[in-house]
Amino acid sequence: MHISTTSWHRYMALPAFALFSLFFLLPLIQGAGLSLTHWDGFSTPEFAGLDNFREFFRDERALGDVKTTVLFALGSAPLLNLAGLSLALLLNRSFSGRNTTRALLYMPAVISPMIMGSIWYLLLQPRRGLLALLFEQSGITLEGNWMLSGPSALTVLVLVNVWQYAGMTMIIYLAGLQSIPAELYEASAVEGATGVQTFRYIVIPELLPALKINVITNIIGSLSVFDVIIALTGGGPGYDTESLSIYIMRMCYGNKTGYSTAVALMLFVIILIPVIISLRFFDSMEDAA
Amino acid sequence: MNEHQMTSDARMNRVPHGSDTLHWYSRLMVLIVSLTAAVPFYLLILLAFKHPEGGLQSISIIPDFHLANLTEAWVKSDLGRALVNTTIMTAGGILLLVLLASMAGYSIARVRSRLNRTIFALLLICMMIPGIINTVPLYTLLIRLRGINTYWSMICVMAANALPFSVFLYASFIRAIPRSLEESAIMDGCSFFEAFWKITFPLMGPVTASVVILQGLGMWNNYAQAVFFLQDRAHRNIPLAVSLFFQQYGANWPLMAAAALIGLVPAVTMFLLFQRYFVEGITAGAIKG
Repeated sequence: MHISTTSWHRYMALPAFALFSLFFLLPLIQGAGLSLTHWDGFSTPEFAGLDNFREFFRDERALGDVKTTVLFALGSAPLLNLAGLSLALLLNRSFSGRNTTRALLYMPAVISPMIMGSIWYLLLQPRRGLLALLFEQSGITLEGNWMLSGPSALTVLVLVNVWQYAGMTMIIYLAGLQSIPAELYEASAVEGATGVQTFRYIVIPELLPALKINVITNIIGSLSVFDVIIALTGGGPGYDTESLSIYIMRMCYGNKTGYSTAVALMLFVIILIPVIISLRFFDSMEDAA
Repeated sequence: MNEHQMTSDARMNRVPHGSDTLHWYSRLMVLIVSLTAAVPFYLLILLAFKHPEGGLQSISIIPDFHLANLTEAWVKSDLGRALVNTTIMTAGGILLLVLLASMAGYSIARVRSRLNRTIFALLLICMMIPGIINTVPLYTLLIRLRGINTYWSMICVMAANALPFSVFLYASFIRAIPRSLEESAIMDGCSFFEAFWKITFPLMGPVTASVVILQGLGMWNNYAQAVFFLQDRAHRNIPLAVSLFFQQYGANWPLMAAAALIGLVPAVTMFLLFQRYFVEGITAGAIKG
């Protein structure tokens, strides 16, 4: 069939590409260029070769932030998936109040993590926080101060993040669970499979797409964590809970703009490695299924 | 009907469907997780409505309903202004995003040219790059373009950041719509663009709802870009206004709680009103992925 109408639908992707080029690709390329310079953000950038990257590997604050960022992700991503899947299994049955429960669990995820972090700050402050006050009223004085030690502050941050986004992860698992045809469960019941066997051989393979999207988004999200840390600890005590993305902002404002773009490229690599590994893993799982 | 199916049917008739009731321990779990989700919000309300008399020590688990905190926080935090700003930037960003992403998705789904495949591949790769990576070079670019403290710069940046995932959603959705619909319109004398606008676009309701909800929420709650690009009081959005209010009034807890409460009300109200669309939107987004 030959159609002799205007064919500019062929180029309908170009406006989107133009916007994307100017506000995403161009800065990305510029950033790669700037990472090779000493630049304070005002004067002319000075070519510096790989100086910034050498500095990065000697910069104890930056390396500490890498550790913080990775530990945050190692805590957050698995816990989020575990909590989300458990909640989805709990809610994958019909009972009265199911929709209300689902809405309640999902509600924290629609709120800005900056505002949610600020709310937890009011509740969790040692001694002055509302929870501490309420405990005091009932005669329990909470000893210790989670904000004074890096590990305990980081643990609190992970828990707050999991509390906020478990409902989001749950919704996606729930959709995956409900797309499993009832016949599959029936068939496995007929074959006399145990609950564990049904879960292993029916539920997990069918949940792969949901698992994939949750794992990938949780890896990217937790490695680029920003708002909740600013709201809750500001990166403290010291720099103990400072994430790499916060460090990038602070270096940019601290007249080390060139260096901050190099740190951003390092963060890019740190995100890309686990994402590619898990994409490969899921591809091989899908081939096997 | 073979023997296997018959036994299966017989079993299903005999065994009552076990999923209509919850065991008592499942009910207990539902109660515990619901409380875990709800209690922080209740505590926030307690704080936000706390009467100044007696100080925070006198807080009880029944709210005071002292409304003056809310009005005072509203006036001092300039949240009204922030609400208008956030609405303008989110609406602008979503409009631009839906227009560009639907056109691009259509072209990519229907025309397999080298240009379109290149654009799509680039977008897919960039889907894995969080915005923070190129924020610093973007900041220097926007200084040169006089884009700091403007609505248009935030609109363009947020739309560009949301483009990869949205184009991906549109493209996979349109691939599932039969071509024959458009072809018959073209036979009747429509141009390709008319066929897109009159036939295909109206069918895109579900995927558009998904894009509007997922990306609109991200734009509404944006902090990581806003903190760079919106620096004056006249342009700040809700997360920025709340965070700056916390820095300013860091001693008055009921006032801080009131500001946080006002800040989360718009998103939560939208969620409660359009709950069904939220769940469907997230689900559609996840399943296509």
